[in-house]
Formats: sequence, C-alpha cells, structure tokens
Amino acid sequence: MNPDSLAATAPADGMLLNGLLVGAVLFALGFVGILARRNMIVMFLSAELMLQGVSVSLVSWSRHHGDWGGQMLVIFVLTVAACEAAVALVFVLQAFARTGRLDVAAWQSLRESVVPRAVDHGLPEVDTHPQTWPRLTPAGIEPELEEDELLQREHV
Amino acid sequence: MTADAAFGLPFSPRPGVLLGFAVAAAAASLWLLLPRGRAGRISRAVGILAGIASLSGFAAAGHRMGSLGEEFVFLTVATVAIVSAAATILTRSPVYSAIWFALALAGISGVLLVLGAQFLGVATIVVYAGAILVMFLFVLMLAQPSGLTPSDRISNEPLLSAIAGAVLVGLLTLSIGRLSAGSEDAAAGPAAAVEVADLSVDHVARLGGELFGRHLIAVEAAGVLLLVALIGAIAVVSRGEAAAVAEGRPAR
Repeated sequence: MNPDSLAATAPADGMLLNGLLVGAVLFALGFVGILARRNMIVMFLSAELMLQGVSVSLVSWSRHHGDWGGQMLVIFVLTVAACEAAVALVFVLQAFARTGRLDVAAWQSLRESVVPRAVDHGLPEVDTHPQTWPRLTPAGIEPELEEDELLQREHV
Repeated sequence: MTADAAFGLPFSPRPGVLLGFAVAAAAASLWLLLPRGRAGRISRAVGILAGIASLSGFAAAGHRMGSLGEEFVFLTVATVAIVSAAATILTRSPVYSAIWFALALAGISGVLLVLGAQFLGVATIVVYAGAILVMFLFVLMLAQPSGLTPSDRISNEPLLSAIAGAVLVGLLTLSIGRLSAGSEDAAAGPAAAVEVADLSVDHVARLGGELFGRHLIAVEAAGVLLLVALIGAIAVVSRGEAAAVAEGRPAR
C-alpha cells in the first residue's frame, strides 16, 4: 500500500480496524447463509446480515475520516433495505402459493439445462419423538372441537 | 498496537498466523454446525468449541483501542452481534432464525453506538427490528408449513459454503491487516497529527443538517422509492390472487 495515500488522513486507529473486522465477519456469515441455507426467508435474513456488515464498515470509515458520507450512505441503505424486504417478501409469498414450499430447490426446474438436477443426500428421518406438552387435570365436560381447530399447527 | 504485546503471552504468534487460525476454526465450526440432516451431538459440540476458538482468535487479533472500558464494551457488543449472526444462519427453525437476527441487530446497533453513530444505532433497532423483522415473522407465520420441513434440516453444500465464507473473511482481514501495516508506516511520518472532526458532538442536529442540506434530492428520491415499492408490493399481491382464482387454486 502506498503510504502517501494514507498520509492525507489520520492513521488507522484500533477502532477503525476492529469495526472493519466485525463488518467483514458479519458479511461473511451472511454470505455463508445465502449459499448454504435453503429456506427462502432465511436466505433473505442472510442478505440483510450482509447489508448490516457493510453498514458497520461504512460507519467505521465515517468515524475515521470525520465525514458524514458513510453515515448518509447507511441511512439510504436502511431505506432501500425496507423497500427490498417488502417487494422480496411478496415474491416469496407468491412462490409459496405456487409450490406450497419455502424451499428454493422447489424451483430448480429454472436451472440451466446443462446443470444436473440437485438430489438431496442424507435426508433425516422424521423425528418420531412426541413433543411433550404440559398436561392439565381434566375437569368438566369434554368440549366439542371444531375440525379447523384440530388442524392447527402443533409447532412452528 | 498488535495483540500479542497487550496480552503478555509467553509466545508471540504473528497476527497473520493468529488470523489464519481463527479463519480456519470459523470454517470448521460453520461446517460442523450447519444443518446436515442427522448431525450427532458430538459434531455439534466440536463445532461449538471450534466457534469459541475462532471467536477468541478474532478477539486476540483485533487491535487495542487505548481505553480499557471502551474496549470491553466493544468486545461485548461485537461478540453478541457475531454469535447471534452465526446462530441466525445455523438454527434450523426459520422462526428462531428470525429471533436470533433480532438479537444480532441489537449487537450491531451497540457496535454502531460505540463507533459514534447514535442516530444510526437507534434507527437500526427501529427500522430493522421494529419493522422489517416483524414483516419477516408475518410472512413466516403465513407461509411456514407446520413443523420443520426437510429442506430446513439440510443445507446446500455445507463444506463448500463454509470454505467460501472462510476464504472471503480471510481476504477481507488480509486487506485490513495491510491497512494497519500502512498506518503504522504513516504514523511514523509527520502526517500523524492530522485531526479529524468529532462527529458525536451535536450528532443528530448536524446529521439532520447534512441529510436535508447536501443530500436533499436523495431524500426525495428515497421517498419516491418507498412509495413505488409499496405500490409494487400491493400490485403483485393482488395480481397473484387474481391469477390464483383464475387457475382454480385457493386464494389466500
């Protein structure tokens, strides 16, 4: 690195370097999440993590230079992230309405024709352990349950 | 300025070696902890240990900041941010993932506060945790089928993804390390005494002046963008419902 380019500003202090390090780690974690996870909503959360990592880096530079530019950019990143989340979640909902799954692999028919079809290896067996719920002492008469209530999810 | 002097270790690892160790441990930890079907308890414990080793490697490779209290606060909030960010991408249930993301946002806003961006720290909590995250949870509750689906329990290529992330963070820390080496050269020169403005005095008033002065047109453009995104989201939803009715699928 050319020392002359740094001579115009203050030397990099510990706070700047630590802020950049935290930003880099957050960005890399979001990157791994995008690559590895298959739930579309978790993938969007990972994208937001990457945005946050960049924001931390920008604020570090802003503090280092004593300049508002980095913080301004983060404000607009927040705005654009809100728009992006709104539009992207609508698309996720539409995709879910078509396939009934949040899995990105449900859309692998959109892949290039030369790419082989992804096959799941090592799928886990279904967890057969019954969930334990608190039990209340039965009292009174047994209510008649609606069909809809019985179909409610047991867990999320 | 480097880590080994401050800790007084009997041996003094070079910062590059320390960072390389931290990056390798991070990759191993992510690989072991990513959802991989039937992951055993042992591999998960080893993954958590590797994660702790990686975190302490990064903490030891970080730079001293002068004031001990400042350093302690920064270390705490950065650890909260990074651990919960890792948990966001590692937990199987998407709902837990979203809640870990909220904790990561708390840590990140703490980091922003330490870095002297008070307004952004608060705005991150309000905008992200208050609005965006709640929207994510709404969509999860609307769309998540009951229980864990198989796709939540396995990952795409966990080994390759972890290696890719480790290479990325290694490259980034490498360039950060070169930055600090360059700054030590520069600090020896006469330019070390450059004073930078302190942004934390009258922070919000000056930030507002900058935002609505120099960046006024960008603020207007951001307002238009928000409006367009709102209209676009509503349009896509209503067209999707109409198409669903036309195709005979149940409209939600």
